[in-house]
Amino acid sequence: MNFKIHALAAIWLAALPALGQKASQWMLVQSSLTYHVSSPVHQVNGTSHEAKGKGVCQDGHCNFLVAAPVKSFDSGDSNRDLHMLEATRGAQNPMVVVRAQFSETDLQQSTIYADLDVQFAGQTRHYSHVPFQRQSQGNEIHITGTVPSTCSDFKFERPSFLGLLISNDIPVRVDAAWKQM
Amino acid sequence: MDLKLFKSMTGVGVLLFAFLVPQVSPAQSSPSNSPTSSSQAPQSSPTAPSKQKPSASSPSLPSAPSPAQSQQEPSLQDLGFGQSQLQANPALQARLNKRTEMLKIHQRLGIITLAPMVAALITGPTAKVKGKDGQILKVPSSTNLDFHAALGSATAALYFTSAYYAEFAPRIAGEQKRGAIRTHVALAFIHGPGMILTPILGAIAFNQEQKGEKVHGIASAHGAVATVTALAYGASIVAVAWPIRLKFWEKQ
Repeated sequence: MNFKIHALAAIWLAALPALGQKASQWMLVQSSLTYHVSSPVHQVNGTSHEAKGKGVCQDGHCNFLVAAPVKSFDSGDSNRDLHMLEATRGAQNPMVVVRAQFSETDLQQSTIYADLDVQFAGQTRHYSHVPFQRQSQGNEIHITGTVPSTCSDFKFERPSFLGLLISNDIPVRVDAAWKQM
Repeated sequence: MDLKLFKSMTGVGVLLFAFLVPQVSPAQSSPSNSPTSSSQAPQSSPTAPSKQKPSASSPSLPSAPSPAQSQQEPSLQDLGFGQSQLQANPALQARLNKRTEMLKIHQRLGIITLAPMVAALITGPTAKVKGKDGQILKVPSSTNLDFHAALGSATAALYFTSAYYAEFAPRIAGEQKRGAIRTHVALAFIHGPGMILTPILGAIAFNQEQKGEKVHGIASAHGAVATVTALAYGASIVAVAWPIRLKFWEKQ
């Protein structure tokens, strides 16, 4: 009897490190990614709801991946969307891919500070310590924030309209609901 | 007792195996971080980021992750996008580039066309100028008429050249026109025929005046048709720019 108790205790002690390493997985269930473009005569928002994403947290670190087809961004004008696709080399590089890394403890905080690697228009750009607001809803978390991207970050020519160049800033608003699997 | 000990040890072994194996399998099941699968992707490689310097940009993706990283980092292939969505399409990119190039010329010529068009509209009524004695000349001077006709001809030449670049810009498969561009295109059904009709009516009016006749019949609609055409043309330019939100005061 004594032996059995010791054996069971040994099992649990041996299993504890394994339990600690267990990865938690997250899936993107709903999202909108919205870029904002401004010029002296225009304010344009283009939104994609076709992003897919997955996140894995393990050993205290979280790695999240979100990707969306460039052509899925809709600004409400097909001509402008095609021009955006051309300007950002969207046929050659059809996906915008964002990798986020942050501490697993951040998942319990109201603000997550993530390091982002954004792959877009054939370029990869790193953004450090980007704040995202987190809200819990059941077993889902709702994350909102803005990626401070610019045209020059991704080395594409700023489009112009009526001879007026758009602003270099093209912030991308992220609004995403993640569900733990 | 020996049998019980053996059973207990076997149980411990099985349970430890059961605990440890699931920790490894989900991440290992992802084949995407291998260099071969990533090379099939259209963009350089959907592998994990390296320890890049902050704010540094690079033309290619970061290097492959270490084995420890690759076990936990999701990959692009995990997300379930179809291969067609991930595939680069150089032919489409070339078509888009050509399209943009032609539409930029269309835009520039279209705006330039406004100048002679407005000038022609202004010189049209003033073709009937006052004579030296202050009376309205029934037959306008040939100088005024020639100037007006030259402006009209320049307008037509620029207009149709601009229209050529819009009409023959490559079409993109699956494109469905949405938004302001629809109004822009719809208005072309007004100013397009107007741009054909206006010079014809102008030529008829010119001939009638050359014969010393008062402009009559269908030629008398020359001014009205020209005005409607110009209004539709202006609306077309505004439509494609709509909605206009002036923010000149904001620092660019």
